[in-house]
Amino acid sequence: MATPVADDRRTLGLPQPERPPLRKPRTSLKLRNALVGWTFILPNFAGFAVLTLVPVLTLFYISLTSWNIFGAAQWVGLDNFARLVGDKSFHTALGNTFYYAALHIPITIVASLSLALLLNQKLRGAAFFRTVAFFPYITSIVAVAVVWNMLFSPEYGPINQFLSLFIGGEMPGWTVSKDWAMPAVIIVGTWKDMGYYMLLFLAGLQTVPGELQEAARIDGANAWQRFWNVTLPCLRPTMFFVTVMVTIQSFKVFDLILVMTDGGPGQATLVLSQYIYQKGFEQFEFGYASAVAVVLFFICIIVTVVQFVYNKRKEA
Amino acid sequence: MNRKIMSAFGIAAAASLALTGCGGQDEPAAADGPVTISLAGWDFASTPEFQTLADAYHEANPDVTVELKEYPAGDDYDTALTADLAAGAAPDVFIVKNLKNYITFQEGGTLLDISDVAGELDPETGGLEPMSVDGATYAVPYRQDSWLLYYNKELFEKAGVDLPDGSWTWDDYAEAAEQLTEGIGEKQVTGTYLHSWQSTVQGFALAQTEGAALDGGDFSFLAPYYERELALQDAGAQPSYATVTTNELAYQSQFGTQKAAMLPMGSWYIGTLVAEQESGTADTFEWGIAPIPQLDESTTGTENTPVTFGDPTTMGISSDIDESKVETAKDFLRFAAGPDGAAALAEIGITPALIDDAVADAIFGLEGVPQDELSRFAYTTHDTLPENPVGQKTAAIQTILGELHSAVMSESTPVDEAITEAEERVANEVG
Repeated sequence: MATPVADDRRTLGLPQPERPPLRKPRTSLKLRNALVGWTFILPNFAGFAVLTLVPVLTLFYISLTSWNIFGAAQWVGLDNFARLVGDKSFHTALGNTFYYAALHIPITIVASLSLALLLNQKLRGAAFFRTVAFFPYITSIVAVAVVWNMLFSPEYGPINQFLSLFIGGEMPGWTVSKDWAMPAVIIVGTWKDMGYYMLLFLAGLQTVPGELQEAARIDGANAWQRFWNVTLPCLRPTMFFVTVMVTIQSFKVFDLILVMTDGGPGQATLVLSQYIYQKGFEQFEFGYASAVAVVLFFICIIVTVVQFVYNKRKEA
Repeated sequence: MNRKIMSAFGIAAAASLALTGCGGQDEPAAADGPVTISLAGWDFASTPEFQTLADAYHEANPDVTVELKEYPAGDDYDTALTADLAAGAAPDVFIVKNLKNYITFQEGGTLLDISDVAGELDPETGGLEPMSVDGATYAVPYRQDSWLLYYNKELFEKAGVDLPDGSWTWDDYAEAAEQLTEGIGEKQVTGTYLHSWQSTVQGFALAQTEGAALDGGDFSFLAPYYERELALQDAGAQPSYATVTTNELAYQSQFGTQKAAMLPMGSWYIGTLVAEQESGTADTFEWGIAPIPQLDESTTGTENTPVTFGDPTTMGISSDIDESKVETAKDFLRFAAGPDGAAALAEIGITPALIDDAVADAIFGLEGVPQDELSRFAYTTHDTLPENPVGQKTAAIQTILGELHSAVMSESTPVDEAITEAEERVANEVG
C-alpha cells in the first residue's frame, strides 16, 4: 500500500513542459490531492482492513459453515439461517435486543440533550458538572455493574429503600426479577452513556448562531419555541450523528449485560451479542454464532441506512 | 513467536538426542539427555500447583525441564488456549480445565491418545473413568476436588444444635440450618450459605439421584433439590439468591467471618480457609468437615460411601507436540497423576486425584486443618461423580440449566415451569 505515495512523489517530480497545457495540471492536482487524502487515511484504513474488514468478510463465510474452530469448516449453505428461524432462544435474544434499543435510544438522546442544554448555560461550576456527567462513560464497566447491582439489591439496596418512602406494596426485584431486569439494565446503560453524547451535543450547541436566538427572542419567541424552531434545527447534523451512534451501540450492547445480569434471570436480558458469545465461545458452534452475528450486522446496517435516507430527505 | 521457540526447543532436543547417540531408539526418550517440555497453566502467582509439579518432576528427572506457560485465569483460560490450539501453537502439555470442553478438544484432534498412560494409573484415581471416550483416554486427572460440608463448631454449640455425624440427608441439613438460624439469633448470621453457582444445587441432584442424566431429556430430578433450597431461603436460613448475586457475596467471607454456620463447598476451600485463618482474613474458630448430605439414608453413615460431585482437573498432551518429546510428556503425566505428583500436591494443600493414606496424612498434617475422625472420613471417602459428564451436548445443556438456575433461585419462575421449559429447550435446541 506504499506505492501510491511513491507514485505521488514521482508525479510531483515530472517536469511541467511535457504536460499538455490547460487540462493536465487540473487532473494532476486532483490526483495529487486524492493521493494526499489517501495517504492520510491509509494508517486508519490498514487497521480497519486487518482488524475489521477481513474478520467481517470471514464472518460471512463462516456463517455458511459448521465449524467448531478446530480443523476444517464444513460447508452447510444456509442451514444455520434455517435453524435460526426455529430457535426460540434466538427469538428471545432478538426481542430483548429490540426491547433494549427501543428504550435506550430515545431515553439516552433526551437525557444527553437535556444535560447539554443545562450545562451550556453560563452556570457556576459548569465545567465541574460536565466532568461529573462524563465520568460514568470512562468508568470501568465492571465497577459500574458491581455498584449498581448493590444499589438495585431488592432487600438491602438504597434504591428500593428510597422507593419505599413513596410507594407501598411489592418493590421491584430489579436485576433478579424477570420483569425488572431489563429496565434496570437500561437505566444503567443510559446513565453510563449519556455523558459522552452530552459532550457531542455540547459541541453541536456551540455552532448554533447567537444571532438567530437573538432574532427569535426579539420576535417574542419563548424558550420552548426558540428550542424547537432554532436550536433543534441547527443541531440536526449532531442529532443525526448521535442517533446513528446510539442506535448501533444499543443493538450491540454486550459487556454491560454480561457483567450485570449475565443474561438472566433465565433469559430475561439475553441479547444477541451475548447469544453470539454463548454459541461461539462457550459451545464452540462458531458457524451458528456467525450466522447470528450476520443477522445483527444486517439489523445495524438496515437501521443505519434508514436513518441516512431519512436524513437526506430532511436535508433536501 | 511461540512456534519459533518451540521449534527451537525441538531442534535443541533432537540435536541433544543425536549428540548423546540416543536418537531413533525404541526405549522411551524420557531422561535421555536434556529435554524441555512446556506446560500451560494459569495465574501462577496464586496457583502454585503447576510450579510444584514442574519442580517435583525436575527433581526426580534432572534431565527434563518443565517450562510453564502462563495463560489468563478464569474462563479466559479456555478461550486463549483454544485460540492457540486452533493455531497449532499450544504448549506440549496443557490442562483441560473445564470438563465440558474436553470432548470439543478431543474431537478437534488437539489431544494425543494417552490410553497407555491411563492404563498404568491406579484405577482408584478419582475422575479417571469418566475421561474415557469410546474406550480411549485423551487426558488424565491430576487433581480432583469433591464437595463437602464445612461447619463452624462454635456456632453449632452456641445454637445448641448437634454437630453433623455423617448421617445427614438433605432434610436433616435443612432442619439444622433453620435451628441454627434461630438458635444463633443474630440478624446477619444464617444457618447455612449456598453460593450462586448452578452446581450448588444441580451437581448434587445429578450425582445423587438414581438414573439422573444430563442428556436424558428429563430434569425432574432437580425439583426436590430446588424446592428445598427455596424453602431455606424463604425461611431466612440462608441468604437469598437475590442477595448473594446483587451484593456479590463471597462464600469465603460468609463462612470465614462466621456469618454462616454451614457451607457446602469444594475441597479446595480447606487450603483457602487455613490460609485465611492464618493471615487473619478469616476469623479464628473451630471448624470441621462432614460428608455432604445425601438424598436418602441408603448412602449416609460412616459405614457407607457418601455420593458427591466434582469435576476432575486433567492434563493432556497436545497433538502438535514434537515426536521426540512424546515419551517425556507421557512420563510427566504418569508422574503428575500418580502417587508422587499426588504427594507433592498434598503438601501445598491441594487435593490430588489419587487420595491415599500418605495424601490424607499430608493434608491433615497441615496446621489448622481439623483433626477429628469425621473430617478425615469426609475427605478420604466418597464417590465423586462429574458435574459435567463427558458428552457432546454437555456444554449446551449446561447453558440452558444455568438459565433455569437463575430463573428458579431468583423466584422469577416456579420450579416445575422452569423444568418443563428447560426440557423443551433441550429437545428443540440441542437435539
